[in-house]
Amino acid sequence: MIALTVLMTVSAVSVSAQTGKDRRKSFKSWDNYEITTEKVGVDGTKFVKVWGFGKTADQAVMNAKENAVHACIFRGLPGSATAMSTPPICPNPDVLAANEDYFQNFFAAGGPYLAYVNMTTDGVPSGTDKRKVKGGYKVGIYVQVMYDNLKRKLEADGIARKLSSGF
Amino acid sequence: MFKRFASFTFAALLISVQLAGQAKIKDVVTSNYNRNSVSFITIQRGDSYDSYTTKAVESFNPGAKFDINDIRTRTFRIRKARKDAVTNSEVQEAVEATPYAREILSSVFNRDSRGMMDDKTVRYRGNYDAKDQDVINARASRVGEDALGDMGYALLKGCYIILTDFYNIDSRTDKEGKVTWSTNARAYAYRLGVDDAAINDFFEQCWIYEDDDTATRDAKLRAFQNLAIPMDYVAYATSSGSGKDVQTAAHSCLSGLVTGLENAIPAWEVAVGISAVKPLRAKIGTKEGLTNGARYRSYSYTEDANGNLKSVPRGFLRATEIASNTGMSIGETEPSEFYQISGLANIEEGWTIKQSNDVGVGLMLSGAFGGLFSSFHISADYLMKVKTNGQMSYILLDATGDFSQNNVSSLYLALGYGYAFHLSRLIEFMPYAMIGDDYMSPSGSGSSITFSEFFKRSGFVIEPGLRLAVNVAYPLQAFGKVYYDFLLANSALNSSYVYYNNYRHHGGLGFQAGLKWTF
Repeated sequence: MIALTVLMTVSAVSVSAQTGKDRRKSFKSWDNYEITTEKVGVDGTKFVKVWGFGKTADQAVMNAKENAVHACIFRGLPGSATAMSTPPICPNPDVLAANEDYFQNFFAAGGPYLAYVNMTTDGVPSGTDKRKVKGGYKVGIYVQVMYDNLKRKLEADGIARKLSSGF
Repeated sequence: MFKRFASFTFAALLISVQLAGQAKIKDVVTSNYNRNSVSFITIQRGDSYDSYTTKAVESFNPGAKFDINDIRTRTFRIRKARKDAVTNSEVQEAVEATPYAREILSSVFNRDSRGMMDDKTVRYRGNYDAKDQDVINARASRVGEDALGDMGYALLKGCYIILTDFYNIDSRTDKEGKVTWSTNARAYAYRLGVDDAAINDFFEQCWIYEDDDTATRDAKLRAFQNLAIPMDYVAYATSSGSGKDVQTAAHSCLSGLVTGLENAIPAWEVAVGISAVKPLRAKIGTKEGLTNGARYRSYSYTEDANGNLKSVPRGFLRATEIASNTGMSIGETEPSEFYQISGLANIEEGWTIKQSNDVGVGLMLSGAFGGLFSSFHISADYLMKVKTNGQMSYILLDATGDFSQNNVSSLYLALGYGYAFHLSRLIEFMPYAMIGDDYMSPSGSGSSITFSEFFKRSGFVIEPGLRLAVNVAYPLQAFGKVYYDFLLANSALNSSYVYYNNYRHHGGLGFQAGLKWTF
């Protein structure tokens, strides 16, 4: 009985500690972000709400912009009540590893990715879209991704395969 | 021993789980605010006051913050003596007996005698309610700005009827024959009980199209007549007022009723994000009924270790420069300005601010040493105007007596004006001036005296001074005053005062220290 009680207490504490660590890790992971399609964007664009994390709110906004472009290239965009889902530009999971240098440069601070994303949040993220979390801020912003232009750029750079390349 | 330890551990785990569960239930304050629409209805009692109270309600404008639904039934009668207020159950019974939901929908959808409806009002309200973010979102999406009108359908959930009851109407005549009427008032708010499913059913079953055949039309007309949308009770508020006649007295209660309902209905409290700091700005203004000095409370957001969102209450702020935004948003709404009046942390961009009404009256209790007389003082101030740089104008009132004197009735009344500067948001420094009347007479002789007698037994006081107030825990402030009382007691004019005073009260330097609570 004692052993059981001690075990339960220790495991409760360790689960709690793990949760905290995992949570911090998950903020740093590029695969952990939330993105939702808001509405059907104007021609050639995707209109999404995306979340980012950073030590400051400004850094979190930049991270959210990266996440939006990252989602269009590697993850695809989920559907919503008002918009269909969008497949990723590079559905092959090996593309990132095979072109690591290219994407390091593409997503560098102030890198080319910024040409394909417009923030459409009115001013700064506000209300529940700006949250203080352990280690920084988590913000949600509305962005318009120039999806067609992004796709053309990656095709021209030989990263994404053109639809016509299979024929 | 071991059993006890085990039980204790289990209990501790259970409590922590329960606490975590409770934390999730706690409401999160958000910046979501949409316009509401109201219809005012007078509860009549079948007496001679009915026409006056009805006219008072009909002529009342609740302000730009609300849209008005022009419904047919604007009065109903509950036969009960005017002495007492009608009860909730009596109002509920009357509301259930009247098809208010149908009347609201008829008004909102401009239903004509043939049962034809349109959505012009709904689309107009959707456009009018749209915020800058909605406009920007609409522009970024393929549907474009036409979609803004669709937002009006969601506003159906914010349609209210306000049933106003006036009771305990009374009149008083003074010595000069002037009559003053007074009344108490109570308002009951009911909300249109629709959800998305009910709105869909309404469109499917009741909306008549031009090409519907006669049988379909008849079926839809019947469906509308049988529409069973409830009116849900939300809150009530009370108020009282007075005036030269019953109508004026009744009318003077109405803004107090709206303020009371605002405090009781969260959906009526305006909320918005801070769009800029230095100075604090937020995109609300005349459209939301914002006025100078209106008090708001700020909230920031955190996520706890479990990812639960929490709103954290922060400092209070007051509106200063009010932007005129009574038009359709084009994505560049002019913001109003605010001044932070409490809180240790500076309010940041993006934090939510939510309406937190107060009267703007500070009540003060202090001890005085020196000056006209040393005693306890009861005083008040009323905030008139606030500037973005923290300068504030106050009307000051002092009403107290010198309780230290035996055999003498003493009453000190003073009125003044103060102009405050904020050294920081927590410290207020205010030069002021007051004009006072120091009345003194033998004990028990002041019950019914004429104005000239009152004048003879009074000495006049001019008091320039400085007040320093420090926030202790807003709305509680500690304050200190230093002032000089000039006692103007002309022996010819104020012979009685000089006689009764007998140097008990005199001019001189005075100090006061006390506490202030702002309501």
